[in-house]
Parts: sequence; structure tokens; C-alpha cells
Amino acid sequence: MALPLLSRSLAGLLVESSSITHQRTFSVSAVAAAIQKMTRVRVVDNSSLGNTPYHRAPRVIHVYTQNGIGKVGDKVLLAIKGQKKKALIVGHKMPGDRMTPRFDSNNVVLIEDNGNPTGTRIKVPIPTHLRKHEGEYSKVLAIASAFV
Amino acid sequence: MNFLTRSKKLISVFKSSVLLDRTGVLRSVCSVPKARKGLCLPSLFTTHVPSCQHRRHVSTLNLDTKRLYSEICTESDESTKSTGVFREESQEMERDSSALNQRSPEKFTIDVLVSLLRQENAVDICVIKVPEQITYSEYFIVVSGVSPRHLRAMALYAIKVYKFLKKEGAPNVKIEGKDAEDWMCIDFGNMVVHFMLPESREVFELEKLWTLRKYDEQLKSMPTETLPEDFIYDGKVTK
Repeated sequence: MALPLLSRSLAGLLVESSSITHQRTFSVSAVAAAIQKMTRVRVVDNSSLGNTPYHRAPRVIHVYTQNGIGKVGDKVLLAIKGQKKKALIVGHKMPGDRMTPRFDSNNVVLIEDNGNPTGTRIKVPIPTHLRKHEGEYSKVLAIASAFV
Repeated sequence: MNFLTRSKKLISVFKSSVLLDRTGVLRSVCSVPKARKGLCLPSLFTTHVPSCQHRRHVSTLNLDTKRLYSEICTESDESTKSTGVFREESQEMERDSSALNQRSPEKFTIDVLVSLLRQENAVDICVIKVPEQITYSEYFIVVSGVSPRHLRAMALYAIKVYKFLKKEGAPNVKIEGKDAEDWMCIDFGNMVVHFMLPESREVFELEKLWTLRKYDEQLKSMPTETLPEDFIYDGKVTK
């Protein structure tokens, strides 16, 4: 696997961004795995639960797969604003299959227990290969405004 | 009523609707009769052939244009005519009309789907032709129902007709959202149907999103996201 190689090459990088000059004084390791327990995620729909600020970022507390690794299309349980909420992964930082998009943030769409999305619109691009996966993604694809 | 008679009725409804299209009458609101209690549409056709030209008919799609056709099906009282005699007459008419010979639908197209939705007394059928740039599907249909049971019945009937008409190698289609009572979807590959209750339809406003794409009002009211001040851009992560 290329993961140990990646972590070795990117560990100990001092990154300087172009517009805002901040220098990191600690080392950064690359993405280790996709989405698992305790990962902080970004909620990308327009639900009030996902968009109101809170002093803690939403975190994954359980991944509903056989192994605890969540990829695009897997359901997870989040802890948001002190409550538990189910969500669907729509993009992660880990590189996936060839010719599938890789995102710069771990994106997640909030979902009710019956599968209905909590928000009504999604601005962030959603990967179209979700359609081929086994599962109920038509509702999320119906409220998406951009596809990748 | 078993499935075969219903599908035959559906096919004859489809034929008659295609025939009406051919007469060149397009695009206005029509009162579509209750197709369940015997076929009123072919009976209309047989008894009032000249008046069909004047009778306005809703056209579901125009393959050349990418416009939205929204139709409102209202139940009418035209089922008061006795349908027994007319049914035999209509079947004879169809056998004799070899000039307007349209083969019965062998493929599950959008016409078949919309005619079956009409037959099921669907409320507010909305067919949207999705532009080519969006590689999602060709047609996006939103349908309302009277109750959760009505939605489930429509969805199951659509699946039944699809299974009846599909070829051997075509994949089966499943109903998504079976445990959600207010919103169910079926993805047929080139078509996607959403069965919703009117309340959830108001909340989500899918027709607005799919016709207006990025000019949708709900999208505009979402606050634009800005990067936080302490954002640090990571270097490239390549495999």
C-alpha cells in the first residue's frame, strides 16, 4: 500500500499557504483511512443542525459497515450539538477508486432514521458514482445541486 | 382486479393517448377520467371521435424540447357512462384501426410510466426533462399521492409494470425509502420517479430545484461559505 510511503513523505511538512501566511509548527501526517470513529466531518447540507455553530465539531461515533471504515455511500452515526444523528458519507479525503472524485474535506449529509435527508439542499458537489452503489441514495441525489 | 387486465387497460390507454397525440392536440389541462372503473378514455374515443379534436388533452413530453410539463389530474364524473358495451366496441375499433397501427409498448418508456401514473389517480404529475449536461438521468418525475398507502400502491404497480415489460437482461429496480411513509423513489436508469406526500413536496420543492438548477431560491438563501481565518491549505496528496 502507498499509505506508509505517503505518511513518511508528508510527515514533518511545514506548510505555508499563499494568501494567509501561517506557519505550522507541528508535523502533519497524511490521511490514514477513510472515515472511522472519532473523525471530524463537515456537514454539507442546509439543515439547521448542521449549520449552527457549536464549540465542538461533529464527530463520527459509529460506522455502519462490517469493518469500521466508512467510504462514500456508507451510513454513520454522528454526535452533533450533543445529540446523535445518522448521516451519509458523500466524500472523503482518502483517494478511492480510479476515476472517482477525491474531496478536500470529509463531507457528510444528515439523514433521518427513515432515510429522508434532514436538509433540503446540498451546495457541495456530490459524486455520481453513488448511483451505482447498493443503497438508497436517490433522495440525496435529488436534493443535490452539483454533481461531480 | 388482476394484473393482466390492468396492464391491458394500461396498454390501451397508452394507445389511445398516443392516437390523440397524433391528431395534433397538445398541451392543455384536461379532465382525465378515472381509468380504474373501466376504460373511459377509449370509450370517449369511440363515441366522440370528432369531438376529441376539441377536447383538450395533456401531453406529457416533447422529446425535442427540454421544458417542464406540469399536469394536474383531476377526477371527473365521466365514469357515469356504462362501460361494458363500450369496452367491446373499443377493442373492435383498435383491431380495425390498422392504419393507425401503433405497436403495444414493448419498452418501459416515459409514456408508459406517465400513463400508468394517471391510471393510478396520481395527483400533480410533474415530468422534467433533465438537460444533457447533468449526467444523472433523462427524466425526473415527481408525483403526489393522497395518502402513504396510495404512494406505496403506485410505487408497487410501477414496479410490476416494469417487470412485465422489461427484457431478460435488464436489472431489477427497487423502491427506495420503503420505510419512509412520505417519500419513496424508484430509479429506472433513464428515469427517476419520486412519490411524495403534498406536505413533503412543499418542503423539498424538487421541481423548483430541477428546473431552476442553480437559480433556485433555497440555494440562494443558503449562506455562501467562506474559509475561516486560520485556514491552512494542505499540500497535494497524491497516490
